[in-house]
Amino acid sequence: MQNELRQTCRRLLEEGTVQVVIGYGDGTDGQTFPTFVTRRDDVERLVWNERCYTNLATYLTRPEILALGKAAICVKACDERALVVLEKESQIDRSQLVVIGLACSTDGVKQPKCEACENRTPRWANVTIGDAAGETAKTTADRYAALQAFMQKTPDERMAYWKTELARCVKCYACRQVCPLCYCRQCIADKNRPVVISTSATLKGSFAWQITRAFHLGGRCIGCDECTRVCPAGIDLRLLNLSLARAAEENFNFRAGVDVEAEPIVGAYSERDREEFIR
Amino acid sequence: MSETITRGALLQRVSVWIGGGKSVIGPRQVKPANGSGQEVPVQYGRVASAEELLLSGDTRPANSLKEFFFPRHEKLYGYQFKGRQIELTDTEQPSTEQIIVGGRPCDAAALPVLDHLFNWDYRDETFNRRRELTTIVTIACRSFDSHCFCTSVGSSPVDARGSDVLLLAVDAERYEVRFVTEKGRRLLNGATTTANENATEPAAPPKRFEMEQLKEFLAGGYERPEWKTTTLRCLGCGACAYTCPTCHCFDIVDEGNAAGGLRARNWDACQFGLFTLHASGHNPRHNQAERQRQRIHHKFQIYPDKFGETLCTGCGNCTRNCPVGLGVLSVVEAIAAAPRENQSQK
Amino acid sequence: MSEQQPFEPKIVAYVCNWCTYLGADLAGTNRLEYPANVRIIRLPCTGRIDFNLIIKAFEMGADAVLVSGCHPGDCHYTAGNFHARRRWILFRQLLETMGIDTRRVHFSWISAAEGKKFQQFVTEITETARALGPYQAYREICQAE
Ligand code: SF4
Ligand code: SF4
Ligand code: SF4
Ligand code: SF4
Ligand code: SF4
Repeated sequence: MQNELRQTCRRLLEEGTVQVVIGYGDGTDGQTFPTFVTRRDDVERLVWNERCYTNLATYLTRPEILALGKAAICVKACDERALVVLEKESQIDRSQLVVIGLACSTDGVKQPKCEACENRTPRWANVTIGDAAGETAKTTADRYAALQAFMQKTPDERMAYWKTELARCVKCYACRQVCPLCYCRQCIADKNRPVVISTSATLKGSFAWQITRAFHLGGRCIGCDECTRVCPAGIDLRLLNLSLARAAEENFNFRAGVDVEAEPIVGAYSERDREEFIR
Repeated sequence: MSETITRGALLQRVSVWIGGGKSVIGPRQVKPANGSGQEVPVQYGRVASAEELLLSGDTRPANSLKEFFFPRHEKLYGYQFKGRQIELTDTEQPSTEQIIVGGRPCDAAALPVLDHLFNWDYRDETFNRRRELTTIVTIACRSFDSHCFCTSVGSSPVDARGSDVLLLAVDAERYEVRFVTEKGRRLLNGATTTANENATEPAAPPKRFEMEQLKEFLAGGYERPEWKTTTLRCLGCGACAYTCPTCHCFDIVDEGNAAGGLRARNWDACQFGLFTLHASGHNPRHNQAERQRQRIHHKFQIYPDKFGETLCTGCGNCTRNCPVGLGVLSVVEAIAAAPRENQSQK
Repeated sequence: MSEQQPFEPKIVAYVCNWCTYLGADLAGTNRLEYPANVRIIRLPCTGRIDFNLIIKAFEMGADAVLVSGCHPGDCHYTAGNFHARRRWILFRQLLETMGIDTRRVHFSWISAAEGKKFQQFVTEITETARALGPYQAYREICQAE
């Protein structure tokens, strides 16, 4: 599979179809990290294994990477959903991009998300590497199991939980920087004239930050769980993302990135949206 | 002949300290209340009981010890508007005694390095106060991972610098005790016994780069293309700086409203785009490569030139915590090994 | 607070310029009395009422927040309130997950002609807030250092 990947990328670079391949490279200790291959002989650096965590779509909106020229990008089935959202939000031009789909084995990358994964093979890739694993039907209960368990707590317990968790937030913004959909050139958290969100890593500042981060991704987050994986404080940001994803699915029958035809739900509206909570 | 302490005797001491109102800080498992399957890191933190401490010498906490001396948010003073007057209120100086138990030698070694900065053109009162109030017991690392490189920056798993006491595990129940300072000796006074057994020195991580080669590159390679090629994947977050024991950049912020507020010192990180952004909109370091170059220069050239010390203890936190496995190690390893020719190539 | 004095909640009302603000104005000109607990902040449209403002109100010690604008179909900017409604649906779920007290966050449509509705609704939410007591939980978050 890795060979097939390398050959494909070599061909793309040789033919001049793309100038750069955004993929995974070999790191020490069997780790992988994002790599940018611009010379065909460097395709040997590319790997595909169960430690290819990063959602590389995050690089598609970065000036340093855009400057490298037309790109081919490696995506897993979950990462691919980010491309759908990015395209709907006019951040990428799909016709200028070669998508190399990487089909996951049953275990995927062994992250919690892989357990609830329905579709391990990218669907809209130009080339797909690996065997097309079958789809595993999942119910909403499977998708939101972690959230469901969390919501069994009382509101006070939930608040207490976030107080302990967010007390560890150092405001490194790794959760934002790694997110393929946090592409704003100026994040509202960095706005300092006037300050909108306290920049201090205090509970006040960290609550405001996470409420903002999660909400700005409401109806947009594709559930790659990268934010949660990279948080050095081990804060389970996934619960916040899941709660908005569930709200989007329950209220608007919408799941970000899973349907190329579906229009985004934020920035849009229906006259029939529910309003029983409004007086 | 050497001093030894049993695990039991150490834990007993810890319980006494906690009971006496002292703040005991050490590596412990951070436990979120829900079983989400997310990997839970080990972090240094204040413990409520001795049993929480992880003292095997195999832990690599995700954070560093600096936050117990230089907190991520520190109130400097408060202010209140009283008519046309402004009333200032001082912040209370720290007064709780802190005892760090089970620190890594590389985390402790960062503190004397930071002392230079916090006592340079200005003597930082709270930092120094906390240093005085703290006694540090470290445990020599019994294992290392692929991110550890203390030996490349002149340190080692048994480096006692910055520690008051260094423990070396003899077996699961006993430690050899190496007193480094009088303060350390006082801390464990009466808890140790003299025995005829020495711990075997633990294995040290292999050298990852030659400091001489790195310095050579830094001296002449300001415009080298490696800055860009090695750092392309950097996302520009603060995970490396905020978990680094030696990074110390901060920002002074005012937080308040029409009635009053506070002035605080918050951590800041050189990899953020906002870090050097001028009010005019101009940014002298306008991409990640330039920010990374600054970071490496600061750690391995500027700080050593100014204070005679490397601003890195090789702890590996920056790479371990980096979302994309970069950190300082990957960059310095690559540039130290870069071919010497084309020094002036753009 | 002394025993005799009932707790007086602070309530921040973010209202749109075209409907609810005028509704509140009408309540005033008609001499309809409503609790002084409500601090009105006028914004162009509910579509402009950033959810950060709700958090900000709690940070500054509010015990309850009201967001109110034109009835669906009456928006001065055609659809600002439709956009707002959709965001509120999502936002309320996030507040639930965070354990923030959603009994303290209110939404309403109040037109320029509904001075009476304004009076009744703010009286009602003031009573609710009074019964709930001060929003201590969020204050503790904001005071932690
Ligand atoms: S969630 Fe699915 S597609 Fe994504 S890494 Fe896991 S198994 Fe692969
Ligand atoms: S990654 Fe974690 S610690 Fe960093 S800002 Fe996000 S939540 Fe806070
Ligand atoms: S918020 Fe987290 S899970 Fe959602 S798209 Fe961004 S990184 Fe992925
Ligand atoms: S730069 Fe990296 S290895 Fe060096 S002290 Fe900081 S975190 Fe540790
Ligand atoms: S090196 Fe890694 S941790 Fe540091 S800023 Fe870059 S991406 Fe973040």
